[in-house]
This record gives sequence, structure tokens and C-alpha cells, in this order.
Amino acid sequence: MSRLRAVGAGALHLWPVALVLVLWDLWVVLNGYTATVAPRPWDVIADVVDGFGDYLPYTAYTLGMSLGGLVGGTIVGFVGAVLVWWSAALSGVVTPAALVIRSVPITAMIPIIARVVGYGDPAVLASTVLICFFPAFVFTLSALTAIPDSGRDLFRVLGAGRAQLLGRYGVLHALPSLMVSVRITAPTAVLSAMLAEFLMGANGLGALFSRARSYMDMERAWGTALVATVVSVVVFILARLLERRVADRVS
Amino acid sequence: MITGARTTTRIAYAAAGALLLVVGAQLIGQFELAGKAWPPLTDVLAYVATPSGSSLIQRNLLVTLGAAGQGFVIGSAVALLGATAALLVPILRPGLDRFAAILNAVPTIALAPLLITTAGREGTPAVIAALSVGFVMFVATTSGFAATSAPQQDLLTVFGASRRRRLALLELPRSVPAFVDGLTLAAPAAILGATIGEWFGAPQGIGLLLVSAMQNYQMALLWAAALAATLASLVAYLLLVQMQRVAVRRFS
Repeated sequence: MSRLRAVGAGALHLWPVALVLVLWDLWVVLNGYTATVAPRPWDVIADVVDGFGDYLPYTAYTLGMSLGGLVGGTIVGFVGAVLVWWSAALSGVVTPAALVIRSVPITAMIPIIARVVGYGDPAVLASTVLICFFPAFVFTLSALTAIPDSGRDLFRVLGAGRAQLLGRYGVLHALPSLMVSVRITAPTAVLSAMLAEFLMGANGLGALFSRARSYMDMERAWGTALVATVVSVVVFILARLLERRVADRVS
Repeated sequence: MITGARTTTRIAYAAAGALLLVVGAQLIGQFELAGKAWPPLTDVLAYVATPSGSSLIQRNLLVTLGAAGQGFVIGSAVALLGATAALLVPILRPGLDRFAAILNAVPTIALAPLLITTAGREGTPAVIAALSVGFVMFVATTSGFAATSAPQQDLLTVFGASRRRRLALLELPRSVPAFVDGLTLAAPAAILGATIGEWFGAPQGIGLLLVSAMQNYQMALLWAAALAATLASLVAYLLLVQMQRVAVRRFS
């Protein structure tokens, strides 16, 4: 019973979403827009439900690219941060460069990656990996440099070397921060995968969206937007679950 | 004096890092390690130095900065209002929190069709920038409001302060550091949002320049536009970091 009530309360707190749907419908109806200008929400939902088979491969592609980029970028960022932490000189040299590269907007990065790597799957994946790399790198590095002195002293007294300190303490200490970075980058990963797909137009929701737009198939275009939002929210929720799990486990 | 020496080493490392980045990019371009799409930096700079190149970049950068600035102001203002509403009317809080999280998860590219019909091609960049800024600022402001302690609240209540007075005397000033902290993240987000908006057929702007240069294989222009966007975002970030230091010193 209490579970049911919790679910009910959870649904109730989605009122802004319901409000958006109603306002959207009212806006279309009151302005008298035809379906080529702006479709009604119910038509868009119907298109997604009817054309589920059409959407599925594109959605799977985008989801795979986002998750692959998220995992790959996080691992590379983590390893990079550990390497940099190892040497003070390296960290001094790399950190400002990372700051500069982190400031490159994805919209500027993707066209360059597309030209350098070539159009296609590797370019989409490379874009998402690169986008997810920097937050993971920065969060891990700041967690590693913030290892408490007491912990460091304890390991030193017990005769542990730098590798032991890292393996037995540093990694655990950095994991929660790494998970924060995963949660923060999760929606960005979906966004960058879609931007890359939109620009290169080969596969994925971004390409589907670009195609629907050029054929003026507005229900499909808005349907893609809806599906993309759901994908992004799902990836975000998964990342948040993972973050909580890890935080409970580690601390 | 030790800190002085440390700062010097740090600056030396940072300079070495910057130099390494520039020289690396130049060499990759020089020897075409990444193909023709990666020109040497000197070529890009030479392009920027030409009158037509510099005026093209400058004109479009100003448009993008204008849109990003508008979005920055609007997004921050709306987020501040939303966070204040969530603070004063607690029943709105869970719904607004969740809505902000969903709004953040929406890939902004997905909003483009909606925005093109509502805000038009010129207005879209600013709106997308405002949306990207809004979430960051909403989260930053709510966490800033939460930074007040119960004894402080109690003290003001005992002295007979109304809810509105408590907001003005305690929560608003207390949230300034977190708010400015949010601004440092929001500024690059605004520039990113504006360029995304420009991908969808805006008449001008760096985002448009990036796409058209890519499609027409104008590599010097593509790199120049990317560098301009990066510099703008870096400068905005560093300026706000300075502002944040002042805010932390004054308000906490």
C-alpha cells in the first residue's frame, strides 16, 4: 500500500510534464497550426507507437553510441588522470591544456572530428568518447589530489608505496567522483551522439531527425525529439542509479 | 616564500603545457599526420589575419556572443525565479526539481523543431542558450539556498523576521557564492547552446560558420571558427572564476 502511494506521489510530481503536454496541445489548437507546422502531441505519440519498428534501429544505434562513448570516455579519462597524478610535472603540464580543450564547444569539435576521422560510426563514437573524457579526467584528478593526508600518512607508515596507495586507497577514493562525472556527462553523451549523427546523417536518431525535417514529416521529426528525450532521461536515470550504488558501497 | 616558488613552478608548468599543445597541433598539421583536415595552426592564423577572414569571424562571433549573452541573462533570471518559487512554496519543489532534471536531459537538438516554429530562426540560438543555462543555475541556486543553517533561520524568526525578510537577509546573500559558481559553468553552456541553435538555419553566427565550412571543406575557416568559439568560452569562464573568488571572499 505504501509502495503504491510512493508511486502515486512520484507520478504526481510529474505535473510540469503534463502541463507541458497540455500547453503544447492548446498552443497548436489555438493557433490553428496544421500538422506541417506543428503536430499535436497525441499525433506525435501515435506516430511513435505505430512506427515503433521504424524508430527501433535508430534508437538502438544512438543508445549504443552514447553508452559506448560514456563508458569509453570515462575509462580513458580515469586512466589518464591516474597517469597524470603519478607525476607532478605531468599534471602541471597537462592540466592547463585540459582546461583549454574542455572549453572547446562540442559544436566546434564534432565538425573537425568528422573531417579528420571521416564520416561514419568511428566519428560518432570518437565524438562521444572525447566529450565524456574531460569531465572524467578532471573529476578523477581532483579526487586523487584531494586524498586526505591522514590516509596518505597511514599508508606511508605501513610501508606502502605509491602504487599500493593508489590501488588500495586512491581508486576507491576517486570512484564516487568518477560516478558524479558519469551522471553529469550522461545526457551530454546522448546530445553529442545525436549532434554527430545529425551532422553526418548516416544512422541514429540524429540522422532520422535530419531526414524527417528535410521531408517536412513533422510528426516523425517531433517523434524523434520525443524518443531522444526518453533515451536521454533513461541514460541519466541509469547513471544516477549507478552513482548511488557506488556511493553506498564505497563510503 | 615556499608558496612563491610553488606558484612560479606552476606557472612554468602551465606555460610548458600550453606550448606543448600549440606546438603539437602545429606539427600534426605540418606533417599532415591527421590528413588534410588538420591544417597547421600557422595557416589558420594566416587566414584569421586576412581582412576578409577576420571580418567574417568577428561579425559571426559577435552574433553568437549576443545570443549567448541574452540566453545567459534570461536563463539565470528564470532559474533564480524558479528556485525562489521552489523555496517559498515547498509543494512545488519536487515537481520543479524533477522537471529541471528532465529538461536538462532533453538533448537540446531535439527542441529545435519546436523552437524554429515558435522562436524563429533568429531567436532559436538565444532560447537554446537560455535552456542550457537555466538548469545549471536552478541547481546552483537551490543548493545555495540550502546552505543556510537552522540556527540562523531560527534567530531571524525569533527576532520577528517575515518569510520575505528572511529571504532577503539570509538566503539570498548566502546563496551568492553558489550562484556565481553556477555562472562559471553556465557561461560555456550558453555559448554551446547558442552554437547548437545556429546549426538549424540561423542566418548568422559561429555555429552556422562551423557547419558550412565543414560541408564546403574550408578547413582554415572551420578551425578559425572553432578557435574563436573556444577562446570566447574560455575567456568567459576565466572572467567568472575571478568574479567567483570575489564573491566567496565577500559572502561566505
